[in-house]
Amino acid sequence: MKEQKVTCKEVMQHICESLREDLNSERCVAIKKHIDECSGCQNYIETVELTIDYYQKYNVELPDDAHDRLMKFLDLEDSD
Amino acid sequence: MEETELIALAQAGDKKALAKLVKNYEQTIYNFAFKICRNKNKAEHIMQETFYSMVKSLHQFDGNSKLSTWLYRIVSNHCLMLARKLKNRSFVSLDDDDSLYDEKYTADWNTLPYKSTENEELKAILDKAIEKLSPEYRMIFLLRDVEGLSTEETAQTTELSIAAVKSRLHRARAFLRNELNRAFQK
Repeated sequence: MKEQKVTCKEVMQHICESLREDLNSERCVAIKKHIDECSGCQNYIETVELTIDYYQKYNVELPDDAHDRLMKFLDLEDSD
Repeated sequence: MEETELIALAQAGDKKALAKLVKNYEQTIYNFAFKICRNKNKAEHIMQETFYSMVKSLHQFDGNSKLSTWLYRIVSNHCLMLARKLKNRSFVSLDDDDSLYDEKYTADWNTLPYKSTENEELKAILDKAIEKLSPEYRMIFLLRDVEGLSTEETAQTTELSIAAVKSRLHRARAFLRNELNRAFQK
């Protein structure tokens, strides 16, 4: 099989398209090989993952009074 | 009680079952609305409108999708409606693919002083970056990557094709990563 050559830029685009998906095409195999050997691309993957992680962990709690206003707005009562 | 039983009871007019459904999803909907509009008052307003719509149209829910997916669709529509009212905001264009993948320098993210997302400085950076994204891109990133919906569920929720979801998602990911990278270099 002829080895596919890929650039860091192509790898970056691929990472952003297919992160967290399992892909086994010839192109993906070439990209995985590139990533194994390229610290810049490894770093890029890590920072995209971290970006997602930061936004996943940034949450807000619903305040009790906002819950109360919601139930009143909907004319519902808490059962417990 | 199983969710399907609660839904059936609520559809038949049982207010206790309806209240339980609201309680089961209010935190998720409030949190999601906040993540889209980055403002607690607006998030509360959107949450109220979302559940009002749910109460009004629950009889139309046919169980072909998860209730959560159905609610994400309602809350997403309310978020978009609110965003369209605030037309004076301008957002970054993500049409130019090339510049998105042309970052030559990566800051050392391992030595950042932020140990958790409770850090106010980090929260401000995250808010500022995502606020530059148009709500249409923001929505896709949040539904797929943050809320963990599948690509298919995200497409169903936003009424976009799978290809359009993937395209918006990868651009949003690259853009946000670049924004954080720039902020961390300062």
